[in-house]
Amino acid sequence: MVGPTASLTPLSRADGSASYQCPSTGSNILGSVNAPIELPGRRDALRPEDATVEVFVKPGTAPGGVGERYVEGIIKNMLTKLILGREKGYARRGVVITLAIVGGESVGRGDSYLTLLPALLHTALLALLSASVPLSMTFSATVLAVDASGKITREPSPKEAATATSLHVFAFSSNGHLLLSESQGPFEFKTWENVHQRALAICHGTLARSSDGDVAMAEDVDGQPLEGALREVVEDKIHLDYAWKIDAP
Amino acid sequence: MAPAAAAAAQPAPPSLSLPPSQFARLQPHAYLLAHLSPPPSSNQPSIRANGRAPSQFRVTSANTGSLTHTNGSAVVRLGDTTAVCGVRAEILHTEDIASWSVSRPTPASSSPTGNKRRKLTDSTAKLSAESENKEEDGDDESQIQDFSLLVPNLSLSTGCAPGFIPGAPPSALAQSLSHQILTLLHSTRLVRAEDLRIWYQPPNLGPEELERHNENEQMDVDAPQGEVDLEKNKEIKAFWVLYIDIMIISLAGNPFDAAWAAVLAALRDTKLARAWWDVDNEMVVCSDAVSEARKLSLRGLPISSTFCVFEADAASGWRAVVIPDAEEEKELDDSTRKGIQRRWVLADPDGYEEGLSQERICVVVDKEQDGKGKTVIMKLEKNGGWAVDTKELKTLVDISAQRWEDLKQILEQC
Repeated sequence: MVGPTASLTPLSRADGSASYQCPSTGSNILGSVNAPIELPGRRDALRPEDATVEVFVKPGTAPGGVGERYVEGIIKNMLTKLILGREKGYARRGVVITLAIVGGESVGRGDSYLTLLPALLHTALLALLSASVPLSMTFSATVLAVDASGKITREPSPKEAATATSLHVFAFSSNGHLLLSESQGPFEFKTWENVHQRALAICHGTLARSSDGDVAMAEDVDGQPLEGALREVVEDKIHLDYAWKIDAP
Repeated sequence: MAPAAAAAAQPAPPSLSLPPSQFARLQPHAYLLAHLSPPPSSNQPSIRANGRAPSQFRVTSANTGSLTHTNGSAVVRLGDTTAVCGVRAEILHTEDIASWSVSRPTPASSSPTGNKRRKLTDSTAKLSAESENKEEDGDDESQIQDFSLLVPNLSLSTGCAPGFIPGAPPSALAQSLSHQILTLLHSTRLVRAEDLRIWYQPPNLGPEELERHNENEQMDVDAPQGEVDLEKNKEIKAFWVLYIDIMIISLAGNPFDAAWAAVLAALRDTKLARAWWDVDNEMVVCSDAVSEARKLSLRGLPISSTFCVFEADAASGWRAVVIPDAEEEKELDDSTRKGIQRRWVLADPDGYEEGLSQERICVVVDKEQDGKGKTVIMKLEKNGGWAVDTKELKTLVDISAQRWEDLKQILEQC
């Protein structure tokens, strides 16, 4: 299984940005975050003590439509809960997240956005980290397809997703909470539980608690856990940025 | 009570107590929390501010056939949320479909399915045939999505709630609801593509008539053979396109459940006129006899139920220190939760409760074999928080299965 590749801060003018490629689903997303910024118009009436999170999704080939509004709503609802919008300097200001679908299959009318959703969420997370927006926790997400025989495919290609009976997207926080679960297509709750287990293993690996209470992420059939892969991207970037300091004698 | 005693002592003191309605506006979170967790001394049960139990849905009523200009219509009320849905059928000629000649199915592959289905009349036979046909008609069902034969649109700009200005462009909420209804129509495959096809059957004139003249007694044997030939020449000339328009005329929370129930009731009510291709005029002609119009035969009855999570701690989510690990949290049982750790999953939230909660769960379930079979989940959506995990979702699916029974009765009676 080829893991995703990502890079932090490819754009120089945005406060934070990230690009993310997932080879198995073929998605390629470029995201930028501007925060905290002054929003036009008075938004005090809504939630004066909190920051306003806005998400924009730009499809690759077609003008935006109702499908984008829907996926924007999902991402916004999930991230609003994670962004610490009451930190100093964030109240009554805006966190604007723009996600552009640069490559991969575009989503047609009435198609589900589920295959693209994990890539969009990961890009948003990395861009938020790159903009140093305070978050209560990080997360990792994955999409799984279940076909008629009950076989679970991890991160299906658009062709595999079209033939699958049900599609499931899961996002787990760094603490192991189930943050988001989007499933469609006929399935039973038992199937959902199996897929949930598999998704947890993909995102967090099989957890092994050591004696001092630390949680170690172990590698298994799914290769490196996603949570660790995302962490490494950020670590590499920090290492690169601080090379002058680290390498100094 | 203290303020009452003070009022008795002094003739006209400024009132220091607030009526409940003002308290609800000033401190909405504390108001709902006080209802859900009353002090143990008051001996009151834990109940929502609207008087419902946490897993209780609002009173639902449905009425079909209210709009005379539509092919099918329904009004569904879910408490104070009201959705009106009208289904209008229009004819789409295959000549007008740009990709028709490319994607056109071979007549031989599509007609036997149609033939088989037409012969099935009773619902039990139809169900058993459905499982058989699942594989072979899967390809044909894609026509609904490929040619956009279902066009739902939801409008909130009706003055349904103070936040929605009449005549304004569709809000993000209205757009995402339209999209959810469309994807649910596609993923549940509720409408059969066969119901929407308008066929042309060319008359088989030549060889059959010759045969009849020659050997009269063999006609009975040959007739089925001729019918199969005719079936092969059948051709799709047009499709019915269903425009499904939903108006939320009053919004008090939970618009999706109301809208989906309205779509379901309207589609169950929809009648399509008998239509055929007229060769001489080269157009589709419809019969105006009501007796010839037929209803859509829908696949199953997917029912949606929405829930929201109300947390006792208004600040959970931004106070990073208090978030425990998922493992620790699993060990906490609902009964052992105290103080700010408490949370309630509220079914069918009204507008007031929706404003106070962020985590939403939407479950769409169907039951096989008209309610006797097992529960199948069509859609499961949860985001905006971490209160609901596997265990809670399992209970919510069970509640939704119960709701399926209730709503089925309501829809069948209307």
